[in-house]
Amino acid sequence: MQTAYYLVLVPMVYAAFAVFVLGTVWRLVQTARRPAHPTTLQIFPKKEPAWLYAVGDTFLMPSIFRHSPVLWFFLAVFHVAVLLLIIGHLELFGDWPIFQLVPHEVFLGRGFVGLVAAVSVLYLFFRRFHAPVRDLSVPEDYYLLILLFLTIIFGSQMDWARRWYDYDVMGVSAYRAYLWSLVMLKPFVPDEILYSGHAFMLVLHVFFANLFLMVFPFTKMMHTFLALPMNLLRRG
Amino acid sequence: MDQQMREDLLKLFQTKLNRAMVYYLETCTRCGVCTTACHVYQSMPQARYIAAYRAEIVRRIYKKHFKGQGKLWPSYGEAKELTEAALQELYDAAYSCTGCRRCMVYCPFGIDTQMLMSIAKLLLVGAHAEPEILTLLADTSIEKGRSLEFFKEGFLQGVKNLEQKVVEKWKLEAEGKTVIPVDVEGAELLYVALAGAHSIIPAAAVFNAAGENWTLSFFEAVNFGAFVGDPTRTKLILDRIVNEALRLKVKEVCICECGTAYRVMKQLSGTQPFKVSSVTEVHARYLREGRIRVSKKAFEGQVVTYHDPCQIARNGGVLEEPRFILQHLTDDFREMAPDPRYNYCCGGGGGLVALGEDTLDFRMKSAKVKAEQVQKTGATVLATACENCHTQLSDLNRHYGLGLNVQFLTSMVADALVVS
Amino acid sequence: MSEAIHADKVMDLKGLPCPMPVVKVSKGIKEVAVGQILEAQTTDPGSLTDFPAWARTSGNEIVETIQENGIIRIFIRRKV
Repeated sequence: MQTAYYLVLVPMVYAAFAVFVLGTVWRLVQTARRPAHPTTLQIFPKKEPAWLYAVGDTFLMPSIFRHSPVLWFFLAVFHVAVLLLIIGHLELFGDWPIFQLVPHEVFLGRGFVGLVAAVSVLYLFFRRFHAPVRDLSVPEDYYLLILLFLTIIFGSQMDWARRWYDYDVMGVSAYRAYLWSLVMLKPFVPDEILYSGHAFMLVLHVFFANLFLMVFPFTKMMHTFLALPMNLLRRG
Repeated sequence: MDQQMREDLLKLFQTKLNRAMVYYLETCTRCGVCTTACHVYQSMPQARYIAAYRAEIVRRIYKKHFKGQGKLWPSYGEAKELTEAALQELYDAAYSCTGCRRCMVYCPFGIDTQMLMSIAKLLLVGAHAEPEILTLLADTSIEKGRSLEFFKEGFLQGVKNLEQKVVEKWKLEAEGKTVIPVDVEGAELLYVALAGAHSIIPAAAVFNAAGENWTLSFFEAVNFGAFVGDPTRTKLILDRIVNEALRLKVKEVCICECGTAYRVMKQLSGTQPFKVSSVTEVHARYLREGRIRVSKKAFEGQVVTYHDPCQIARNGGVLEEPRFILQHLTDDFREMAPDPRYNYCCGGGGGLVALGEDTLDFRMKSAKVKAEQVQKTGATVLATACENCHTQLSDLNRHYGLGLNVQFLTSMVADALVVS
Repeated sequence: MSEAIHADKVMDLKGLPCPMPVVKVSKGIKEVAVGQILEAQTTDPGSLTDFPAWARTSGNEIVETIQENGIIRIFIRRKV
């Protein structure tokens, strides 16, 4: 069993990051090398500065706010929560003074950020069972949300156990040792991770996250990187 | 469909895959925000009329033939092989889309459905499955460009016969002047009209009243190559006018009230020594500079509203000028709601009006929401600046018994001219 | 004026919006037999270039064009 855990926690993590980084760069470069569209694609009236409006469109999603406010609420909550979770993971590498502007233990929000992310993913998932979004959805849309949900739920579970149930076998120091060993290319999984009763939670979290990273460059997840250039086209 | 045909069509598909197109094909998250954007969906709420659904019909073929995903695991994204049945779906999607780009305003990424539909249209052209009449009209335009000398005399005579009407109606001083000049080298402005007299006579009156040094194009402005989605034909039709403008050394090419013609000429003609304007912009300029005067008497007691042609307003940027003109024509102008960026398509774009009675039933049903939008203004006069919109709005007027007076903005300006 | 040409079908296309004259004549020509003559009546000067170009493209023949009193009469022989 420990061998399987090790495979997920070390080689698969490397593979996932390689696929994610190289795949994303390759897809973006490949797309950027295509010829530009010969004419403007903008929508009028034009507002200046166009780039600022494009940034606003990308990060504030005003058109969704206008036409589908409930969806906007869950999307905004989801994206902000994911951002906070990414910051939380960076904190697993070490102390970042900038993130401590709001003083907190590692992972802001006492476990509630993960909960909120999970709930919003469930909303995004179940809204796909209703017309008309059901008629638009393809399996990809469900698969990615399931994958995200599994990643978030197993990840958050570790935080919840630690904070809400005083579980203290696996802690921040063990994660830091593990993650830094990966960065230093001297992979090492501490015993409290490999042999604890909750280890399977971490392993499943990392497993689903690996899968997610590996499909990322080849799916609609590329909207993460393409949203801004596309909005720039629309804003002219 | 045999293998050779499929390969040929996929080569055509490949030619459309520029950077923007790939963005549009890769990014849709199928969030469904565009659901209510389409006037067709609003009038007939069926999933196939949702922008994302239309786009997905093209996208499925892209996934199958251009993406590893669709080859390794087709069911993941419902990738679909290009077949006869797929062509039928492409036809239904593309020819129920008017290319108004209202959905592009809704989309959080700004996906251009019209552009995605241009792939569908090109594949249909490649498979000879497009609406025949559109290609015939495009080829007719191209033929005209090729053998101009052959038609010239008749055209000049026809134009001569119109001059009397201009003089009679507006009591212009015609002595020693050509009322409708054609083929004048060194003119300031080349006016590109449509075949119809209604597109030439009022415009001529205004140009002459403004003392413009103008000349009428031999060609009609409309570009059926763009309607049918054939880039080669679009270019050939466009080039006739560009070459004429270069030959006559004009400084400005003024496009008549035709949305497609304006957008194609404005955005596709490239860098040229002349500028491209719509007749609406030119009339607004004449008013601003005091070169023409109009009276509000012609439309006294009327409530006027204005339909923004999609290709001229949302997609072309001519928004203020028609409103400026209408301020001079009426004291009771009412905007449609919501604002012009969200204006509903008349329901006749993308070649649907040119398909005439074949699409009449669909056009009337799909534009119910447009009829309601117009009705809510309480207007008695519905002005617009596009031949296509005018035809469709007139059909709507009849079909829904709106009791409106549908007018071209140029005709309104001409009718209100104060000739000193 | 010349009434020498006998038209088997006459279409009134006066004042129609773009591109209806050509669309209608494309349909109308199929309603006469090959060799028969269709007469199209319009008031639009553009028809004087549109119709000959259309005839060449579609393989039909313009046999006569008469302009009188502001009305343009175009006689087309169906050839295909």
